[in-house]
Amino acid sequence: MGAPINARGINGSDLIATLHLAQQAPGILGQGPTKAKKDTAEEYGQIEQLFLACLRTGDDQSAQACLDRLSQRFGPANEKVMGLRGLYQEATAKDNSALEKCLKEYEKILGENPVNVPILKRRVALLRSLHRSSDAIAALIQLLDAVPTDAEAWCELADLYQSQGLGAQAIFSLEEALLIAPNAWNIHARLGEVLYVSASAPEEIRLASKSVQHFCRGIELCDDYLRGFYGLALASSRLLDMGYETPSDRAMPSKQTVSRLHEFALKRLREMVETRSVDDQHWASSRSELIAAKALLNRFEQKS
Amino acid sequence: MAIQGGEQTILRDPALFYWILFPISIVMILTGILRHYATVLMNSPPKGPSTLPELRERHALLRGVNLRNHAAAVLDRESFEIRKNYLVSGFRNGSFLKDPNNRGQPPANPMTDPAGMEQMMGMLKGNMMMMIPQTLIMSWINAFFSGFVILKLPFPLTIRFKSMLQSGVMTRDLDVKWVSSLSWYFLNLFGLQSVFGFILGSDNSANQMAQQMGMANPAAMMNPMQPGQDPDKLFLSEAENLEVMEHFCILDGVEERVLQNFAPEVN
Repeated sequence: MGAPINARGINGSDLIATLHLAQQAPGILGQGPTKAKKDTAEEYGQIEQLFLACLRTGDDQSAQACLDRLSQRFGPANEKVMGLRGLYQEATAKDNSALEKCLKEYEKILGENPVNVPILKRRVALLRSLHRSSDAIAALIQLLDAVPTDAEAWCELADLYQSQGLGAQAIFSLEEALLIAPNAWNIHARLGEVLYVSASAPEEIRLASKSVQHFCRGIELCDDYLRGFYGLALASSRLLDMGYETPSDRAMPSKQTVSRLHEFALKRLREMVETRSVDDQHWASSRSELIAAKALLNRFEQKS
Repeated sequence: MAIQGGEQTILRDPALFYWILFPISIVMILTGILRHYATVLMNSPPKGPSTLPELRERHALLRGVNLRNHAAAVLDRESFEIRKNYLVSGFRNGSFLKDPNNRGQPPANPMTDPAGMEQMMGMLKGNMMMMIPQTLIMSWINAFFSGFVILKLPFPLTIRFKSMLQSGVMTRDLDVKWVSSLSWYFLNLFGLQSVFGFILGSDNSANQMAQQMGMANPAAMMNPMQPGQDPDKLFLSEAENLEVMEHFCILDGVEERVLQNFAPEVN
């Protein structure tokens, strides 16, 4: 077994690291509650991460053990533990009727305590997995009306809107999320993507230029963010395709700047693809991004 | 009569050590530990809001602050104006308040407000937890052990320390090195903090974990407002702050900036 993985550092979409962590479950849990190392927040944060990793990798038994450990320490009535238990029940539900049962349970809990935020969020997620998007959006709006400072919820709302084809609403939600976390380059890039998708009609040149701006900001905040460069290459090329002309407004970039940005993005993408292809193991988790970047580069090369 | 320049000697029964010095120290340590656990038991965690409008009242202000601080990094003029107008009118109308009908009325008296009452009770409980054992132990020591000289410090001290080290022993001539039993109690009372830290763990309160787990869900627990503050007033001042805000956006010219900073060779 390799060095212990820092559970907190695991990125949610990094499947390989998640798998590694889940494989260590017996080792971490094996010490038993009597020999629990330290009664600290980190320790329990780690158990929570392990719980999520086990659920994702299908190790329901270990997940149950993690959950037991947490509810033993904090009591089954702790809001967070309730949310995690709901998550467990959803994840192990066999069919739709079991999920409906979870939903009924959430509603019962919320009837007793309407401000149980983890359960409110679980309910939204459950509605979404039951393909009741409009209900999920309504529930999420209700939640955000009460807690407008929750960036996670705003991002989820944006995602829901985008899945329903409501671009303008998704843009608004992402802007709200960015107001809470203004330096999150991934949200900047995500906003750029949504703007890019919305700017499909030629009269929406304003959206396309905003998209370019947000990708640029994302790159400014994290200068080797592959997704940012990918988006910048696409958005700037669309802006040029739309017949962008140097505007009279001095604040807007000139046409020449946009085309230079396009070249710059392609150049950096090429570099990144080269270096990361060599160091394959290190970038294993983002291999799909790398493949997409290669495809994009090929497309632009064929075009020119 | 004190012998000038000479060493004062007092014959002490060694039983004084076993039957006074020891019991006082041990009782002090034990009460300290007991008090700690009693506080943990009686401490009720701060109660969160119980309805969604109450939660909203707590967070609406933060939203305004966020807009003020971060708008420059995200929003262009148009979307900034929309949000500003929405928040300002919301703050002005009181639509973010828990119960808009109660607006303008003076804040509830903390003595009649149940939430305020609970808080006061908490403080009272904490204070009582300090007061009662101390009073008891001090009267116990006064009744049984007053007037004993039980300890000699191995170093000389100035006369100023006399009142600190010899309370309960009314002699003018006794050297300051001698410590009376009541003073030993006081020294223990103030000096045992580090001993408790050693026995009970460094932060001296076992229930911190439970709070941290609650804090892991900060959205529900956070309360930017002090109790007794009128949220309406805070909202109105925030509305004013938003109104006078000058908009600028760092996204303007970000394209040139990126080119300049990251791609000097393209220029």
